[in-house]
Amino acid sequence: MLEIKNLHATVDGKAILQGIDLSVKAGEVHAVMGPNGSGKSTLAHLLAGREGYAVTQGQVLYKGKDLLALAPEARAAEGLFLGFQYPVEIPGVSSMYLLKTAMNAQRKHRGEPEIDAMDFLAWVRDRLAKVKMDIAMLHRGVNEGFSGGEKKRNEVLQMLVLQPRLMVLDETDSGLDIDALKIVAEGINAMRSPERAILLVTHYQRLLDYVKPDQVHVLARGRIVKSGGPELARELEQKGYGWLEQAAA
Amino acid sequence: MNNFAAAFAALPEGAQHLRKRHLDAFLRDGLPTKALEDWRYTDLSALAERPLALAGAEHPPLPTLTGAQTVAFANGRFVSGDRSLAHAAVPDLTPGAVTALNAAFATAGLELDVPAGQPRAPLHVVTWFGGGAGGMAHLRHRIRLAPGASLTLVVHELGDGAPFFCTQVFDIDLAENSRLDFYRVQQFGAGTTALTRLDARLAGDARFNGVGLYAGGALVRNDLNVALEAPGADAELHGVLAPAAGEHLDVHTRLDHRGPRGRSREGFRCIVPAKARAIFNGKVIVHPGAQKTDSEQHVDSLLLAPGAEVDAKPELEIFADDVKCAHGATCGQLDEDALYYLRTRGLDLASARNLLLRSFAQHVLDRIGFEPARKLAEGML
Repeated sequence: MLEIKNLHATVDGKAILQGIDLSVKAGEVHAVMGPNGSGKSTLAHLLAGREGYAVTQGQVLYKGKDLLALAPEARAAEGLFLGFQYPVEIPGVSSMYLLKTAMNAQRKHRGEPEIDAMDFLAWVRDRLAKVKMDIAMLHRGVNEGFSGGEKKRNEVLQMLVLQPRLMVLDETDSGLDIDALKIVAEGINAMRSPERAILLVTHYQRLLDYVKPDQVHVLARGRIVKSGGPELARELEQKGYGWLEQAAA
Repeated sequence: MNNFAAAFAALPEGAQHLRKRHLDAFLRDGLPTKALEDWRYTDLSALAERPLALAGAEHPPLPTLTGAQTVAFANGRFVSGDRSLAHAAVPDLTPGAVTALNAAFATAGLELDVPAGQPRAPLHVVTWFGGGAGGMAHLRHRIRLAPGASLTLVVHELGDGAPFFCTQVFDIDLAENSRLDFYRVQQFGAGTTALTRLDARLAGDARFNGVGLYAGGALVRNDLNVALEAPGADAELHGVLAPAAGEHLDVHTRLDHRGPRGRSREGFRCIVPAKARAIFNGKVIVHPGAQKTDSEQHVDSLLLAPGAEVDAKPELEIFADDVKCAHGATCGQLDEDALYYLRTRGLDLASARNLLLRSFAQHVLDRIGFEPARKLAEGML
């Protein structure tokens, strides 16, 4: 589903990604871990289409197509979803309106008709319950005045509503207390299926107690320096990142 | 200025007789020039030169509004609605070049006395100006609310693409404890030069709630003057300034706090595309004796492209010592992070920009308490 080949990228002339190779198949959950500044968030936003990155080498194939040639909205319509580490507050645009507009924009891109208003409402209500959010929150501005945990749950809600194929979740576990972490993990697990793939970008191992990854990769200094099974995450928890960073230097 | 004198000669003789002193006052002082501080951003000199003739009576079909009673005027004439609400009297002269010019030429407008205890449907006043190059027309409206009376007024200003000149003056008196909701949707044509002025005088505990969408015209100047004459008067003035590319839109507000314990709130938002110019000038004068005045003013602007210009200026003059007066101005561009966030959810760039612009304006338009008027304003964006 996702093939990243020898990806190099710079930001303001500074090399951030220095040769990433990563292959994620449908049905798989991969975790990308690494210390601060290792390039994890850059990788996530580069996949989603943020401006300001220069890809100097390599390529990214999504469902066999050149992902980097697509606008962010086309990537979304093709099934890519980025869960933000810092979800943006948009006062004046209600979450409900955003969800409906986003869903219909994606359907239009795929040549599907707009969703019926009642069907949409039922669809959203059903998913709200999964993330334990009140519908009143959806009538507020997007993330406006939400706590950190509420913002992350709102990201998971958007994911559940939009039903993407490839989910890139950028530190969706950061800033969550244990109850919110469980809710978020349940939401992510609900999306696991043979047709979907998930890339969990995380600093800590604790989310991986609830969302079992098939593979764990360690990113340091812009490269994947080690890959392994779930046991690698536990090893990192005990030994930290230092030993791998030194190996990468 | 001969163009104005020549046009005046075309008025019916009886009307000329009564309006001559207003014309003389206007011709004596002339159009305001950029040398005046209040007019430094808006240049009217071209008006004194160009041919102007009182415009004809033809007009396109004019809109109505759900849930409201419509009174319509086209090119300064009453055309439909309750005729008893439209007058042909000679207005009194209030100081100022625009009002003198308007008083010399205006032969129609709304004449409305609202008593207490007789609730009436919201009134939708349509004023259309256009239909031919070089035309001009003028309207003057008088609105009086008796003690304890209330009214919702929706003023709907329209025009077309031909070069046209119009003035429109609102003269408003709000007696003790009365309330006027004054909603305004202004979308003159791309050819319209318009000068409008509103003077509202508020007695004790009277409330004026003004919310407007100003969607431009070739050159549009709106003066909004509210005088809080007596204790406890309350004025809300809010608006969205949204000129189209190439247009010039000027809003000058003036709040005179004369009575004690007056409260005023102003919130304006400007959305300015390339080659357009928006001007907001907010004057607040707290006169001696207007103690416990509580006044706030905010103006926020979005510049959408290089070459867009906004001039936002607060002007506070405070002659009382026990008052609260705040003002603030911001100016920025669309939030790139928000645009990106929306795009990652599937909205294309144009839809994302449009959504953010609408939400910026909605903050003001949400203050329009009469839903059909709010929808009308939203539809103009």
